[in-house]
Amino acid sequence: MRFNRTTALVMAGTLSLGLLAACSDSDDDTTPEASGSASAPAGTDEPVTIKVAGLLPTADDAAKQQLADRVASFEDKYPNITVEPEDYEWKNSTFTTQLAGGTLPNVFEIPLTDGKTLIENGQLADIDQYVKELPYGNQFNPKLLANGQGSDGKIYAVPAKSIYAVALHYNRKLFTQAGLDPDKPPTTWDEVRAYAKQIHDKTKVAGYATMALDASGGWQLAAGANSRGGVIETSGGDGKYTATLNDPAVKAHLEWLKALRWEDNSLLPRADLGWGEINAAFGGGEVAMYTSGSDVYNALVESNGVTKDWGYGLTAIPTDNNGGALTGGTLAAVTKDSTDAQKAAAVKWIDWWYLSKLQDQDQAIADAKTRAEADPPQAVGTPVLPIFSEENYQQSQAWIQDYINVPLADMKGYTDVMFTQNLVPEASASVQDLYNALFPVVQAVISEKNADVDKLLDEANTTGQAAIDAAAK
Amino acid sequence: MTTIDRDTPPPALPGAMPGSAAAAAPSASLAAIVRRRRRSTVDNPDRGALSSADWRRPSVKHTWRSMHFLLLVLLLVWCLGPLLLLGKFAFTPTQDILTAPMAVFPNGPTMHNVDQAWNRYHIGQFFMNTVWFALGAWFTQILVATTGGFVLSVLRPRWAKVLNWAVLATLFVPAVVLLIPLYKIIVHPPVGDSLVNNFFAVWLPAGASAFNVVLVARFFDSLPREIFEAARVDGAGPFRLFWHIVLPMSKPIIGVVSVFAVIASWKDFLWPFLVLKDDSVKPLSVYLQSMANVDKGTLMAALAISTLIPITMFLVFQRMFLRGAGLGGAVKG
Amino acid sequence: MTTDDVVTVAPGPKPARFQVHERSKQRGTPATWVRRGGLTALLFALPILFIFGVFSWWPIVSAFVMSLQKTNLTDAPVWVGLDNFRAVFADPLLPTVIKNTAWFAVLALIFGYPVPLIGAVLMSELRRRKGLYSVLAYLPVVVPPVVAVLLWKFFYDPRPEGVFNTVLGWVGLGPYPWLADSAWAMPSLVLEATWAAAGGTVIIYLAALISVPAELYDAAEVDGASVLRKVWHVTIPQLRGVLFITLILQIIGTAQVFLEPFLFTNGGPNHATETIMLHVYNLAFANLGNNFGQATALSLLLAAFLAVMSLVYFRLTRSWSQS
Repeated sequence: MRFNRTTALVMAGTLSLGLLAACSDSDDDTTPEASGSASAPAGTDEPVTIKVAGLLPTADDAAKQQLADRVASFEDKYPNITVEPEDYEWKNSTFTTQLAGGTLPNVFEIPLTDGKTLIENGQLADIDQYVKELPYGNQFNPKLLANGQGSDGKIYAVPAKSIYAVALHYNRKLFTQAGLDPDKPPTTWDEVRAYAKQIHDKTKVAGYATMALDASGGWQLAAGANSRGGVIETSGGDGKYTATLNDPAVKAHLEWLKALRWEDNSLLPRADLGWGEINAAFGGGEVAMYTSGSDVYNALVESNGVTKDWGYGLTAIPTDNNGGALTGGTLAAVTKDSTDAQKAAAVKWIDWWYLSKLQDQDQAIADAKTRAEADPPQAVGTPVLPIFSEENYQQSQAWIQDYINVPLADMKGYTDVMFTQNLVPEASASVQDLYNALFPVVQAVISEKNADVDKLLDEANTTGQAAIDAAAK
Repeated sequence: MTTIDRDTPPPALPGAMPGSAAAAAPSASLAAIVRRRRRSTVDNPDRGALSSADWRRPSVKHTWRSMHFLLLVLLLVWCLGPLLLLGKFAFTPTQDILTAPMAVFPNGPTMHNVDQAWNRYHIGQFFMNTVWFALGAWFTQILVATTGGFVLSVLRPRWAKVLNWAVLATLFVPAVVLLIPLYKIIVHPPVGDSLVNNFFAVWLPAGASAFNVVLVARFFDSLPREIFEAARVDGAGPFRLFWHIVLPMSKPIIGVVSVFAVIASWKDFLWPFLVLKDDSVKPLSVYLQSMANVDKGTLMAALAISTLIPITMFLVFQRMFLRGAGLGGAVKG
Repeated sequence: MTTDDVVTVAPGPKPARFQVHERSKQRGTPATWVRRGGLTALLFALPILFIFGVFSWWPIVSAFVMSLQKTNLTDAPVWVGLDNFRAVFADPLLPTVIKNTAWFAVLALIFGYPVPLIGAVLMSELRRRKGLYSVLAYLPVVVPPVVAVLLWKFFYDPRPEGVFNTVLGWVGLGPYPWLADSAWAMPSLVLEATWAAAGGTVIIYLAALISVPAELYDAAEVDGASVLRKVWHVTIPQLRGVLFITLILQIIGTAQVFLEPFLFTNGGPNHATETIMLHVYNLAFANLGNNFGQATALSLLLAAFLAVMSLVYFRLTRSWSQS
């Protein structure tokens, strides 16, 4: 099942299936008890220990405390399971080491796009039966779930958190200092450029920055291209994929970055910004605008000292030519070498930590409460796309309404359109390879005034196509 | 030694360390130091290109005096300057670091950064991990080098030649080759489970340093055989000989190897980065790398704290450090 | 405890081995072997045999094996013959990484070769406070490399408020892009690497300078040589050996440079700082690569080059130590 462009809207759209199920959910069968007893194929009471992906290595103590609380209540509920959380940050440059070295925790997180590759390489455990035994096991948005299913139709990974659309993040205080209205964020790329220039001219702070380090640089370039109506890969429908890294939209976005960097001087001149680095630069007030997943606010709070009063603003990524917002997300998976008992426990943990808060009011409130009452408080209510359905999402947000502590009013630019904007899924085949082929071009545009974009893109496209062909073999 | 010893990946494999090929010819080096000692004992004072007569000439004196002064200024700015800046950053609020890095506490100093680094990011814990790493690596290296040197130099069984050759040969294998096979062995050891996240993953490979073995064996070679003979006549076996005679006489060389061993562990990055991933074992160097994206003030405080101990050690044991480095150089020369 | 006593080492013929018992002419049985200390010797050799066997000799053999296999370390390896080596040579990045590594080496020589020499010559003429100068020069060497890189990365902040850009701004220069520019990135890396390591080179030169025989200077003075002539005609030639050796060592070291490109730029921008070692790392450990076979093949090729350098070096030190 391909997660292709034509199905883009589906992610945001409601699935009637999900809707119907969501109604029945709030009944007794989703209580934690039910989900606990449901999945217990191999001796429920035998003691089992699982390691699980925890927080970013540099997470706040408050976040750690919140996780520890959740672990404790999980262990109260399942006395035979011991949960050991480990710091975890998915990084393109280290994930493979962990995979090969067998150092991944039993439950770990991967980008949505890597699911297929890892499943085909036989590197994820089959958790089909355990997931299906969850009360909501059949209510996942099928297009999302497809990312975690093998060609045999079995489930190897489940959408777990942070299903996001790429959005524009901005610093409201810098907007104000530059004489811009922070309640009227830019809606076109031309406006972003003009705003960036004004911010840089008035405040000397870089108006805009883009990720350029490793695959994240390619990812954000793809997001830019998608927003301009282009794609980086097309499908022939026969299982054959063609890299289109030299798509005019890719080029347009690069030329736009080039103009910011070399004409306006409003682009932060750094080619070494990855996902974490750009968050740090933004949190440190070194840049006014950048694009990243809509859920980045969580990380800004968890690791970069951003608070509700910091002046954070979120708006939709500008689009033209029927372009849309690139979506993505995180899958939770289980290591291949886990025992059956560990797999069962792992899925219980996935339920507890990632999913039950979307399905069960008590769980939702318990989770929100510990996050909100942590010191400093962790973000509650950051807008993300639904794992199950829009109704389910609205419902779960309503449950935790009292605890929402994110500046929702300053996120209206995004939340107003999050369910109506055009959404674009990530490419299907060899995505990381395509991103890896693209990021050097982003770096070249930032670092060389006379970078030959056409030539570089053609070379990148050759590399990307070679990777697709190699993977198809 | 510019840029040399720092990146050799597998743990303290000075054996594979380029510099170590030198150990194959330590006699030159040791001879150099011999000469030095000899000269300082001769009445001819320690002198360089400039004679006392030269120093009495005003033009020479003033030229060299001013060159020396210039050198001192350059050393202060170039070598000490960055560290002083780091020290200042550790106590400067993040916003000041980012907007006016060269200003001296424009808004006053703060303890916030240090507090964050210590209490929120728990630098102390990773510091202790580094200490354990260094201690274990030190022990393995000393054990292998002294026992190995004892076999090669003192006991010298028939197969010592082969062993000597096999150890020397590893000097010609650069560290880069070992990285992946060594990783494979750590992940799938011949016996037992993966050693990843286990200190043994860094302790054991550290011992495979041909450089240490050769250095120690050459030193043992120089010990007077008459003492061994006397010990033998007194009925001392090899174990007593090793423990009560050879080791106590070898304190200087053990000191040198120890300095090398501790410094190497403290500096090592790539190998622990690959095999020590868990917080409970991660050394400072690996943890600091993952801190690259935290608040700048906190990062600077963490960097400063991590630098404090090696610098203190250096200032306290500076003679040993410099002699060690000089010996390394001499060995290399 | 100082290393002073090291000086008691004198080159010369190997002294006799330690014998537990008088050597007898009779042929060895296991019993006599044990009595002659064969077992004890083996016991003492256990640590070195075990450690070198498992963590040095075996990995070396294993490297050759792995270079002929396709393996991801989890599944059973597949023999692929010379495919990995073919892949190395077909790799479009190969010329780039070789060029980058060579460029790093050349820059490291330009930055890190003459300056420590000049510094050491000046320092060797100091009559007082030589210790202070040495300590200052050596200070950066004891800073953990990761600390040095992260600190310098901040110094290289390309904004006008960056540390270096601020300082250069005082004299009207900049702001410069440092790591964010393909042309600037590599020199920036080398500058930090030089900062971190030059002190060691200085100390090596100092040790060598001390060993220049005073008689040579005396003789030159008898001939009426000026200070500069003494430095040029006595000091430098006497350092010939150590100069050549640091040169070779530096080439061997820089050919394997990893930390700076990895932590500063991860090979960017646009592969401008991707070195051979970083490429080996990326092939094996990054980007869902798991290409351990090709990575090992590339590392073996690099090793072959370095082994040649080591041999040259070994022969030279041998010949000099005998002269």
